[in-house]
Amino acid sequence: MLVLDNVHTYYGRIHALKGVSLSVERGEIVALIGGNGAGKTTTLLTISGLLRPKQGSITFEGQALTQHAPHQIVRLGVVHCPEGRQIFGRLSVLENLRLAAMHRRDGQAVRRDLERVYALFPVLAQRRNQAAGTLSGGEQQMLAIGRAIMSQPRLLLLDEPSLGLAPLIVESIFKVIATLRDEGVTILLVEQNAYQALQVADRAYVLETGRVILQGPARALAEDPAVKAAYLGG
Amino acid sequence: MFTPTYLAQQLINALNLGSLYALVAIGLTMVYGILRLINFAHGDMMTLGAYLALAGISALVLPAWAALVLPMLVIALVGVLIERLAYRPLRGAPEVAMLITSLAVSSLIQNGATMLLTAQPRPLRVPSALTQRIAFGDLSIAVMDLGIIALAAVLMVALGVFVKRTTIGIAMRACSENLRAAQLMGVDVNRVIVVAFAISAGLAGAAGVLWSSKFGLVDPFMGFVPGLKAFVAAVIGGIGSIPGAMLGGYLLGFAEVFFVAFAPPELSGYRDAFVFALLLIVLLVRPAGLLGRGEVNRA
Ligand SMILES: Nc1ncnc2c1ncn2[C@@H]1O[C@H](COP(=O)(O)OP(=O)(O)OP(=O)(O)O)[C@@H](O)[C@H]1O
Ligand SMILES: [Mg+2]
Repeated sequence: MLVLDNVHTYYGRIHALKGVSLSVERGEIVALIGGNGAGKTTTLLTISGLLRPKQGSITFEGQALTQHAPHQIVRLGVVHCPEGRQIFGRLSVLENLRLAAMHRRDGQAVRRDLERVYALFPVLAQRRNQAAGTLSGGEQQMLAIGRAIMSQPRLLLLDEPSLGLAPLIVESIFKVIATLRDEGVTILLVEQNAYQALQVADRAYVLETGRVILQGPARALAEDPAVKAAYLGG
Repeated sequence: MFTPTYLAQQLINALNLGSLYALVAIGLTMVYGILRLINFAHGDMMTLGAYLALAGISALVLPAWAALVLPMLVIALVGVLIERLAYRPLRGAPEVAMLITSLAVSSLIQNGATMLLTAQPRPLRVPSALTQRIAFGDLSIAVMDLGIIALAAVLMVALGVFVKRTTIGIAMRACSENLRAAQLMGVDVNRVIVVAFAISAGLAGAAGVLWSSKFGLVDPFMGFVPGLKAFVAAVIGGIGSIPGAMLGGYLLGFAEVFFVAFAPPELSGYRDAFVFALLLIVLLVRPAGLLGRGEVNRA
């Protein structure tokens, strides 16, 4: 479904991705793990078009994503739920959700998705008219995921959805991730919380200083001594 | 001397001036909110609007309403064109590049107008129905003054509804909060920017028509001072905030008019100094402006 082939991305002169290749098949959850500054966020930003690769190709269902603007990539069904949530704090919860569906023309389905988001996260329904900036961290993450659902993802790019959240909330976020997969959404999940990510994922890639250093079935990686030592706390 | 009539008269003057500053300040703040561009060519949209009104009234003998609406539409288009040709190619370059470009656009318009039309101020005669005065007891108010106040209010309310209710309005607010995240939500940023420039320039064009009708003159540099004052108004209100720009515009109008009305006559020449002193005081107390919220994650 998604294929990255030898992708190089720079920030000015900083060479952040040094030939990343990876693929995601339809229906999978693929985890991308790695330490601080490994290039996980950069990989997602390059897929969603906010960064342009200097070299290499990114194809989604046969289309070259590198030729599309970020908003067109969303329309193709590749939806990026960014690191740090980045909800619009001055807009209401409902406005945040409406905005993410703005490009869709299927009003019926948009309303259904809104109901689905409210069913997944009832607290968002309660707070629909509240400024999103007044939500707690966990609620903001729910809104960020809800917003992504409103964009009708076929491939969802999730950047550290569990960052800074209480264990109970992390638990429920990962449950939602599993639910989304069961509903047919393919997911590329970036996490520093490697343990949780490897639990839910089918396959995983380990990124280090801009390169893929390991890849394989999530279960196998979770047993790998090197991965255990580096990312699972021994 | 400060009779109720005199005060009421000053109030009308302040509302008038404030309305015009507010109309111009809104556009500055909208564009700044999205692009972080201080658009120095914004005041020149007033100038162009005024020249179009002049041509409309004196050459084409348009009715007054058309001499307002037509320039507004044309200037909206001019704003879109300038964005397309001058600013869009610089998207992603350091912010200062766009700022310098807007200075260049401004001087291009001012010098172009001087070459084509001479620097000679031209009189703009509005239909006499507009200069008639209506008496309210001792107080008499020109029809045009009431018209300016009402029209500005209508335009601002319409803008408020647009920004609050429509999807493109929501997108506009989202873009001014976090441009990158808005793109990830599928917002076509170029479309939002085009709409912002159209509204921004259109309102400035309208303000230019009203300004030149009120003061009776059109010249190539007429937009400069009100443009500068509108910038002060936008900063006082909190640049990036549309309600802030409106508030700042009216505040500035009141400050100027009442300074001149109440200060000893020998000080009234220091009106502009007073305005800038006011700006400094507001910024000392509230660095982000009255309704500004400071910078939130622009990364
Ligand atoms: N805006 C930027 N300008 C310059 N360098 C950057 C920028 N953003 C990231 N980098 C650099 O690129 C490299 C990869 O960063 P990236 O954000 O992709 O890491 P990450 O794997 O997402 O890390 P984290 O887990 O901390 O989020 C790092 O060395 C980082 O310092
Ligand atoms: Mg990251």
